Amino acid sequence: MDWKTITQIDRRYLYIILFIFVSIPLLSPLNLPILVGEHAQAMYDTTETLSAGDIVVCSFDFGPATIPENRPQAKGFLFQARELGLRVVATAFWASGGPLGEDILRDVYGSDFPAIPEYGTDVVYLGYIPGNEVGMQTFGDDTWTAKGTDHYGTPMADIPLMQDTRAAEDLSLWCEITSGTPGEQQVIQFVQGRHGGPAALPLVVGSTAVSVPGMMPFYAAGQIVGILNGLSGAGEYESLLAGAYGYPTELLAPLDAQSVAHVIVILFIIAGNISYVLTRSSGGKEK
Amino acid sequence: MIPPELDLFAAIFGVFATIFIYSFLWKENPLSRAVEHLFIGLAAVFTLAFMYDAALTQGVWGTARLYEGNLIWAIPILISLMYFFFFSKKYFYLYRYPVSIVAGIMAGMMITGMIQSNFLVQIQSTAQLPLVGAGVWEGWPPPGLDSIIIIIGIITALSFFFFTWEHTGILGVSTKIGRYFLMATFGAAYGGTVMARMSLFIGRLRFLYETSYSDWFWAWYLVPIAVLCVVGVALWQRSKPQAED
Repeated sequence: MDWKTITQIDRRYLYIILFIFVSIPLLSPLNLPILVGEHAQAMYDTTETLSAGDIVVCSFDFGPATIPENRPQAKGFLFQARELGLRVVATAFWASGGPLGEDILRDVYGSDFPAIPEYGTDVVYLGYIPGNEVGMQTFGDDTWTAKGTDHYGTPMADIPLMQDTRAAEDLSLWCEITSGTPGEQQVIQFVQGRHGGPAALPLVVGSTAVSVPGMMPFYAAGQIVGILNGLSGAGEYESLLAGAYGYPTELLAPLDAQSVAHVIVILFIIAGNISYVLTRSSGGKEK
Repeated sequence: MIPPELDLFAAIFGVFATIFIYSFLWKENPLSRAVEHLFIGLAAVFTLAFMYDAALTQGVWGTARLYEGNLIWAIPILISLMYFFFFSKKYFYLYRYPVSIVAGIMAGMMITGMIQSNFLVQIQSTAQLPLVGAGVWEGWPPPGLDSIIIIIGIITALSFFFFTWEHTGILGVSTKIGRYFLMATFGAAYGGTVMARMSLFIGRLRFLYETSYSDWFWAWYLVPIAVLCVVGVALWQRSKPQAED
């Protein structure tokens, strides 16, 4: 085995190496420092500027496949909203987001949710709203038409918080937890764009890391004011919440594992490229 | 929300499903295929049931809906039922009505929404990039440098898709630079993909290492058994006589 034949290694050995090195920090955390990036800081700061009583939307638009990334993002945002006294209208435009969102709300507001005193006044769960983009647009234009009842069948008229939530103009912030379509771009197009733009309805996004590069033009244009980039973004946000509110951290070990995994992948890429260059320079045919 | 009494069953099922699915990385086998099909089937049924329930709640049983005499909600229901004419040769043309209605609505919504948010606002944002003024060239990296890189990136990347003239001379240089910007973009997207996949892998490992039930059962107890199942099936497959081509 030399540098030129390294690309012929059975890929299954690489999987085993990755499995071992990712497992080590999960079983014995390395406690690597978490550096808070600009985007997570912006999401935290934007939420902090709101006043108690402001109405915010938290939309769970993801499925089981991205729970490891999206769940801690949503949980962190709901925690911060509750600590700040914000009134939360939680919903989902993905069918799979309906039960997942309810589970996260139980984590933050207690296992008795929705049988809690603040339900209906400080928090309400509308559940799944069908129609994708059309549902989103209707929610922004006339919330009561988009969903006649909350997730538990209570009519909108009987929910005090919904008396103050008739359209996007009543909202102070939209938090989109997403892993696809409909997601942040649909909020921008069909809600934010129709109701005064980013100044009237700021948008913060918690997203799976795959989608974040595509969001950057919207962030640069101010249409998105804060982003949680996958698991690492959730970890950065969590560390901010832990510093300010004593939020219980869960992601230290997973972030260590992710850092180790990235180092391993980078080393694989470097080794593969060295092999490629050496093979070409010696006149061999790369495979 | 899984009822507490089903937590143990969910953990056991989850361990076997996780190991069987990941066994695909070693080699495709009947267990990985079985769990894959199960996942797709469950997802399809779940989505169907949830959307059916949501549609009934939204259109029929909700406040001021069909059940309460608001007949306008019968229109979307009737239109959506026309989708079933897809299965009729004689009345197939009726299937085209709901398709065209949905396509028309989406086109109408998209055109206005996308031109505003994905086109005009982006152009406006680019035109407003700071190149001069207080603080533009202070700190590191200075905001002005960002602006210059973005402007060069936009112009050169756009020139790459300009096919009226041959890509030679100045246009050739521009398209070459544009190609590097595009490659950097794809590289960032690939990096994001790797990060996301690693997060999901870490999520599964956390499930295996951290899931427990009543202090006497840990999910990882079952990992060796699940691995043995995969190995057993592989050996069984190997022992079968190979069909001749």
